[in-house]
Amino acid sequence: MPLPRRKHIAEVPSVAMGDIAFLLLIFFVILARARDDSHIAWVPASGASLSKPATMRISVAIDRDNVTYLNGQRISHEQLGPALWNPEGAGDKGLLYNVPAGRRTVLLKIHKDATAQFFEPVIEAVSAAGGELHHVLEETQK
Amino acid sequence: MKFRRQTKLLVEPPAVATGDIAFNLIVFFLVCASVEPEQGRAQVIPRAEKESRQQQTKHLEVDLTRTAVFLNGNPLTVAQFEKQIRGSLADKAREEDRIVGIKCKPDVPYAHWMNVSGAIEQAGGIVTLVREERVNVQ
Repeated sequence: MPLPRRKHIAEVPSVAMGDIAFLLLIFFVILARARDDSHIAWVPASGASLSKPATMRISVAIDRDNVTYLNGQRISHEQLGPALWNPEGAGDKGLLYNVPAGRRTVLLKIHKDATAQFFEPVIEAVSAAGGELHHVLEETQK
Repeated sequence: MKFRRQTKLLVEPPAVATGDIAFNLIVFFLVCASVEPEQGRAQVIPRAEKESRQQQTKHLEVDLTRTAVFLNGNPLTVAQFEKQIRGSLADKAREEDRIVGIKCKPDVPYAHWMNVSGAIEQAGGIVTLVREERVNVQ
């Protein structure tokens, strides 16, 4: 009498995949909330010999309509300086407070046609706060 | 006669499709994340100078209008300016002698400002903003 052959089923374990999906979701949501300035309409100016910034924690943007944003939130020129550096402040001491040199990068995303009356106060405020300017540009087409 | 209970009490949710969900999530967020530009040019700007008649400095001074550039009062094209500023800064060894003040008209576009400040930095200069002090008189 022939004995029936025993079937061995090999399955890829997929029990942990749900946890992986959940962790990925949390990771990307945190990343997205930290510096959400994707809604700002701007076109970068062009430049050559570009480099990547050391950090990307802080970004200041000026859009097509010359509106200034700090990390995606609308801000006035007067508020920008204290928002970056305000050691005498009672509550928030500024985003650059206690940040060591070399890690104080501030990304500047300024629309190419923004005029000096709007971008000069921003550059001045960032440099006065001890920020290390990093102008975000587009590589010049050769 | 006793009947055996047929139904299992412990029911596991089907976990076969979660791998696909994880993969789709990765693809979705990578596509969203990769469009932001971040390359650019670092710049160190010393504290802004307040212009006053008593404190006229011997630094090179660049005046910018909407389309033109002036080096110590001489009008130049951007190409001419690049050569001229390189020549002017070539013999300056001390850091304080390499400071170049940029004075802008309010309507100067950012792209023009970046071209000129980039040329100064490539020539070894240190860019500083020169802004007029505004006093409100009532």
